[in-house]
Amino acid sequence: MAVAGDDERTEELETLQSIYPELVLDAPFAAHIHLPVAPTIPLPVSFEPVQEVHRIAYLPPLRLEVDLPAEYPAEAPPKVNLSTSPSWLPPATAEILEKKAHALWEEYSGEQVLFAYVSHLQEAAETAFGLSELTLPDTVQTELLEYSKRMKRELFDKETFDCEVCLEPKKGSVCYRMERCNHVFCVQCLQDYLNNCIEEGDVNNVKCMSTDCGKPMPNGKKKERLLSPKELLQIPLSLQAVERYATIKRKKKIEADPTIIYCPRSWCQGAMRTDKYPKIDDVREMDHSDSEAEVPMEASPEEQPTAAGPEKRFVGVTGMDRLAVCEDCTLAFCKVCLASWHGDFVRCEPRDKNQLTEEDQASLNYIMKNTSPCPTCSVPCQKSYGCNHMTCFQCKSHFCYLCGAWLLPENPYAHFSNPGNRGCYNRLMDLAEGDMVEGQAQFGGARGAEQMADFWEHEAMRIQNELNAQDS
Amino acid sequence: MSASAKKRIMREYTECMKDTPAGMKINFDEQNMTKWEVLMDGPEGSVYAGGHFKLEIIFPNEYPFKPPVVSFRTKIYHPNVSNDDKGSMCLGLLRPDEWKPPNKVVAVLRLIQSLMVEPNIDDAIEPSIGNEYKENRKEFEKSAKDWVKRYAK
Repeated sequence: MAVAGDDERTEELETLQSIYPELVLDAPFAAHIHLPVAPTIPLPVSFEPVQEVHRIAYLPPLRLEVDLPAEYPAEAPPKVNLSTSPSWLPPATAEILEKKAHALWEEYSGEQVLFAYVSHLQEAAETAFGLSELTLPDTVQTELLEYSKRMKRELFDKETFDCEVCLEPKKGSVCYRMERCNHVFCVQCLQDYLNNCIEEGDVNNVKCMSTDCGKPMPNGKKKERLLSPKELLQIPLSLQAVERYATIKRKKKIEADPTIIYCPRSWCQGAMRTDKYPKIDDVREMDHSDSEAEVPMEASPEEQPTAAGPEKRFVGVTGMDRLAVCEDCTLAFCKVCLASWHGDFVRCEPRDKNQLTEEDQASLNYIMKNTSPCPTCSVPCQKSYGCNHMTCFQCKSHFCYLCGAWLLPENPYAHFSNPGNRGCYNRLMDLAEGDMVEGQAQFGGARGAEQMADFWEHEAMRIQNELNAQDS
Repeated sequence: MSASAKKRIMREYTECMKDTPAGMKINFDEQNMTKWEVLMDGPEGSVYAGGHFKLEIIFPNEYPFKPPVVSFRTKIYHPNVSNDDKGSMCLGLLRPDEWKPPNKVVAVLRLIQSLMVEPNIDDAIEPSIGNEYKENRKEFEKSAKDWVKRYAK
């Protein structure tokens, strides 16, 4: 029997170990190695009972055990054993791969074959050993999915990316890859940008920062999707910021909906209860990312106050149900007169505007005097600077600040170059420095014109009265 | 302004220095890096050829999340530049709803250069000049060249 040091088998295992340092010697002539399995095309895997197909990019490694008998290599093939943990490789496939060791040994007619065999396995791993799909028991599901995720993260962490925003090369470990579009930015820039948007209430910009993001739509504009609260938490943004985001987004939808009435209690002012905009209970579970252009949900029928109660009585116009319930303080009130609920058979008077508190009146006056309403959603807009072509912050309508007319998004400036529009012709840049020059509202847009009309009407009345007084 | 914003402006300046677009000179004051002064030559072959235009670029505190504000400090007769003492511009990239943080000042400068060669009539901030450009090109060119002689020499 030869001494271990002189043995051809020792020499081969040592050479192999210098090529694959991860090779572990278990005995003088036995060793094992873990070979990564990362098919170039992720392998579709379903777990029984079959629900959905997962495309797995990194499968748990293939464990190769070799045992070299004394007659190897000249007279006996190497003994090999292949396994995976948790077990995912079908036994039939493992057998084919194991037989390949024998075939290679024959092909090499008694020469050392371990390196050739390992290379063969590595190559075969790239095509998932010829597997086109896999069905496994669901007991291994979590482990397989977690493994792939962890490997992805580890490889991502080691990569280097040029963040397009701070323009610095950053390690993957401080970067984030966007779920939908795969763009990568450094976490710091993403946090700065998104927190800034959320802080300013500009929730419609909570989306990927990349210039080539979003699918081009037929009208040439890009449809971009807002990020889901769940993804924001992964970046990570603070729970507080994400909650604010979800709340503002919901509030904007409610505000843009003219059918929503608010609670008449001045300390509450909550929106009325509706199924259209469900209350937020846990942002960690919100993984939908709706786009700005999304079609609003269909109005759902109002809940019956009590399921067993009498049949709903319609009063007046069908569907004109006056009962509303505040979602915050649960006050039941009438949508029309805003008094607490008086039943279906009471006729309600229109509200008296003197009921407004002084504070409400003052802010209403301010709004009337200093803002132009968006022609689509009526949100009051005030121009801080720039031209009189406005884009509504809330619903993105284009409109003229001077007269409140809708403008064509493709050519908004035509409105100002048409001499037919006497009020606005050539006045695109009027008051480009904003309404509030030196703190004084100079021009209140469309409503400003109404104010001026009122003023002159009063003035005319006053002069008339004076003249009348002189006459008498 | 945050340190990262300053760093980014500094980087953009370094990039600009390495590869300044032709016909431009950038004056940069390290003490006040949020305001750049750019001297731009009227592009050859355009009506502004031979003129030298001073532009001002102001970086907002939220840069690069908000676009820089660009204005012509030299008077220019152009449909996309406001015809007043501000010389403001408000189109394409420069609109807050179209700006994306990876956009760079260089892209803005290149946009301005290309607008000097060919104005964007559909987005004219001065509709009367835009109309003139469309309907009476000769008259437009005459005024533009005249202004170059008067203000941009």
